[in-house]
Amino acid sequence: MSARAQTLGAPLLPGTITRRGFVKMGGALFVSLSVPAEFTYANGEGQTSLDPSLLASWLEIRSDNTIVARTGRTETGTGMSGYYAQVIAEELSVRPETISLILGDTDRTPDGGYSAGFLFGMENVRKVAAYTYHALQDLAAKQLGVPAGNLSVTDGVVSGGGKSVSYGQLVEGQNLDLKIPVSGGYAKIDPASPDGNGLAGLDGFTVTGEPKTKAVSQYKVIGTSYPVPGIPDKVTGKTQWSCDVTLPGMLHARMIRPATMGSSLISVGTLDKKQFPTAGIVSKANLVAVVSPNEWEAINAARSLASTTKWTDWAGLPGSDNVTKTIRAYPWGAPTESRGAKGPEVRAALASAAKTISATYEVPYVRHAPIGPFLAVADVRSDGSVTVWTHSSQSQGLRAQIANTLSISPEKVVVRWLDHSGQYGRTTFGGDGAEADAVILSKLTGKPVRVQWTLQEDLAWSSVSPAYVIDVKAGVDTSGRLSAIQSASYTPHQSDARLLGAVLAGMPCVTPKAGSWVATEWPYDKIQNRLEEAYGMPSIGSDATSSGLRGNIMRTPGQRQQNFALEGLMNEAAASARVDPVQFRLDHTTDQRLLDILNKTAKAAGWEARPSPHRSARKTGNAAVTGRGVCIMVRSNAYWVGIAEVSVVPATGAIQVTRFTIGADCGKVINPRQLDRCMKSGVAMGLSEALKEEVTFDEEKVTSTNWSRYKILTMAELPEIKVVQISRDDKGFGGGSEAANAVVPPAVVAALFDATGVHARRLPLAPPFVAGLLRG
Amino acid sequence: MASELTLTVNGAKQVVSSAPETPLLFVLRNELKLTGPRLGCGMAQCGACSVLLDGEEVRSCVTPASYAVGKKVTTIEGLPAIWAAEKKLSDADAARTLHPVQQAWIDEQVPQCGYCQSGMMIAAVELLAKNANPTVAQIKDAFTNKAPSPHLCRCGTYAAIIDAVQRAAQSMKG
Ligand code: FES
Ligand code: FES
Repeated sequence: MSARAQTLGAPLLPGTITRRGFVKMGGALFVSLSVPAEFTYANGEGQTSLDPSLLASWLEIRSDNTIVARTGRTETGTGMSGYYAQVIAEELSVRPETISLILGDTDRTPDGGYSAGFLFGMENVRKVAAYTYHALQDLAAKQLGVPAGNLSVTDGVVSGGGKSVSYGQLVEGQNLDLKIPVSGGYAKIDPASPDGNGLAGLDGFTVTGEPKTKAVSQYKVIGTSYPVPGIPDKVTGKTQWSCDVTLPGMLHARMIRPATMGSSLISVGTLDKKQFPTAGIVSKANLVAVVSPNEWEAINAARSLASTTKWTDWAGLPGSDNVTKTIRAYPWGAPTESRGAKGPEVRAALASAAKTISATYEVPYVRHAPIGPFLAVADVRSDGSVTVWTHSSQSQGLRAQIANTLSISPEKVVVRWLDHSGQYGRTTFGGDGAEADAVILSKLTGKPVRVQWTLQEDLAWSSVSPAYVIDVKAGVDTSGRLSAIQSASYTPHQSDARLLGAVLAGMPCVTPKAGSWVATEWPYDKIQNRLEEAYGMPSIGSDATSSGLRGNIMRTPGQRQQNFALEGLMNEAAASARVDPVQFRLDHTTDQRLLDILNKTAKAAGWEARPSPHRSARKTGNAAVTGRGVCIMVRSNAYWVGIAEVSVVPATGAIQVTRFTIGADCGKVINPRQLDRCMKSGVAMGLSEALKEEVTFDEEKVTSTNWSRYKILTMAELPEIKVVQISRDDKGFGGGSEAANAVVPPAVVAALFDATGVHARRLPLAPPFVAGLLRG
Repeated sequence: MASELTLTVNGAKQVVSSAPETPLLFVLRNELKLTGPRLGCGMAQCGACSVLLDGEEVRSCVTPASYAVGKKVTTIEGLPAIWAAEKKLSDADAARTLHPVQQAWIDEQVPQCGYCQSGMMIAAVELLAKNANPTVAQIKDAFTNKAPSPHLCRCGTYAAIIDAVQRAAQSMKG
């Protein structure tokens, strides 16, 4: 099975739907087509979407008993294509290897929606598979003359009464009319969107109703380590990535970005025709590019053109050293969201507490920073049709945005999804890469255009995960338990979904509306009084003419930052009460799942119960001191624990994380081995955030624009990682990989405190910062 | 100006017409349609573009194509053939055998997005040619401290890579 049933420029799988075939079916339920491939190119027949109420849009059972399944959700690198196949296989009682998935193409998948994780993506295909299973049972009952209750299915073969028939045989030539009940619609532009991103309908179509699904006790595929399907092709070089798309007559483009984040174009430079004979200049407002049929010529010509292109001065950023000051200075009004008890109760509880602990935590700007800078290929044709090949986890949102930018109907636009570098939430609202650049340049040149961003461009101009300033306060009673918690988080916008190319070209964009949300899922039910407030401000450095630091969500958004403060506070309170920090958490919850995963993870880590800091904690000297720390998180029906062990040299501030134990109870584990992989890799990303990452900028532009300035974790910095999993049959599915990064920074900060007796309340724990903090 | 360059890539002679200073990466991808190596940083800072040149890992994003003339270029697409030749496999066996590093990458389920992994496998092949039985510390050292830069994986698959290199080492001995 392959995650991508289609390869660009090659025929579609035999039997895959074409418009002609689709029309011929007239709403048929089961198809066993052998229609030859009729288009390998979007819009070949003007078909730009599938009807989600038709089963054939979702599932196709072929006469050889293989299955094609389609969904707008995509593989984001965590193994979704494997999990979807497992869930579909489970409901249909087939082997997952027999399923091919078509993902993310707006013209060839029915539902749209986010690819923000398994929970968001799985429910549609699971229900469709369940509806299909029951319909197949009825069909088999009729055909075999055996009551449905007496039938059983193994590997897609229905048996009963001494007879059997395969799904493939069963559906051959059948023409049943089963409708899939759906609600919702495709993403569209909505300036009033409550989420502040200027879009509505990002959930896409939802399959409704409650078809009977398999009992967990009957699972044969879910819970096994089915290999993630796309991996062999990635290893052998057969995968067709978005960067591999080539079209006849395609031009390579390189962008010339403004001198600062807010500069306007004064004049476009010139190109020496002798030196660059086939290169051309394309520009619209502040969008400037070089195009050439030859990529190397485009690169060199762009360098040359950049040196002679003139821009206005601009200095509208505060500088990354002044982010907290800038956030503090914003004229804050009411919070955009507030949760928990009412203010007066919390304030009263804090006022009457035996002791209060207050702290401010800061998280810097960080960014998704994919290893492969983003790119897109677009073909805008004279008939008005638009096709874009890219890597988005929100193809329908991107489709809506491109249509909006070009002022055309979304029906004219097709977005094709292909693998590319991991992007960790960056494309959740459509965008955020070279898509707008590509469509604008293609429209202006009349040719297919491939826009490849450079690393510098990606690290300077893509959207960012904004800084947070979080004030937290706890009331402690005479026994050292917490009686109240109050938190207020302040952050620039983080769902600014504007397409960079459209902003620079002065073309229509979505309108982001500043806001923020309380992302915490409250883990400590024994703390009676709590008030959590979230405040949001516009993107920094952004106005009508400049994109500024377009804030966007990134892996475990909001909760990563808010939990950093909450768990920091818990560690500070535990230390103040002289209670072991694991015990302190156990003391504040009755939630059995949290209690179990905490106990099991602590045991795996060899946790020694004692208060922090360690009795030999030290904040001076050239000899290393060691410490350990813990944190937890509850997110998306999953319970997480992180335990860090560190070694710190106080004089230099150099921290080495020597071991990390991560525990998760995410309900029923779908694929234990891939969960193990995702938990370990999530720890690596979390360590990167804890120790190294920060977007830096001066007043004009981002300065952390290569890998020696935007530092991420290297292999040598990876500690030994221990993984603890609890799988439960009675709690449904939970989010199994996303939050792994978020339980790292608070644990590392706690371990630093254990080793030195000093609380670090901001990230990253870079040596100069830590050394300064320890010097006091 | 474009000139004719004769390259030996994955065992086959290839004549391309390219400006000699064109980075090998673009020649491999755009002229020869070998898309295993991919563009990352374009400045020798990440390893996504790595290929073998006479068995040594180079960053093809900064290696002029002309520099590869007269040397043997290997991309991940060519790894199975190298292994088959080394083991003198029959054509039939060769057709169904991957390089042990590739097989280990599949068996250990290493790639997440996979973007960096072509370069990672190239680095692993080079390491195992020099050190048939590397320790975890030696693997970390090779993927981090060898010039010109660490091999970076943003998805964080480093633990899986270490497992896979050790698995490959075992199977190459076998
Ligand atoms: S792309 Fe060549 S080292 Fe990064
Ligand atoms: S697997 Fe995604 S960057 Fe390495």
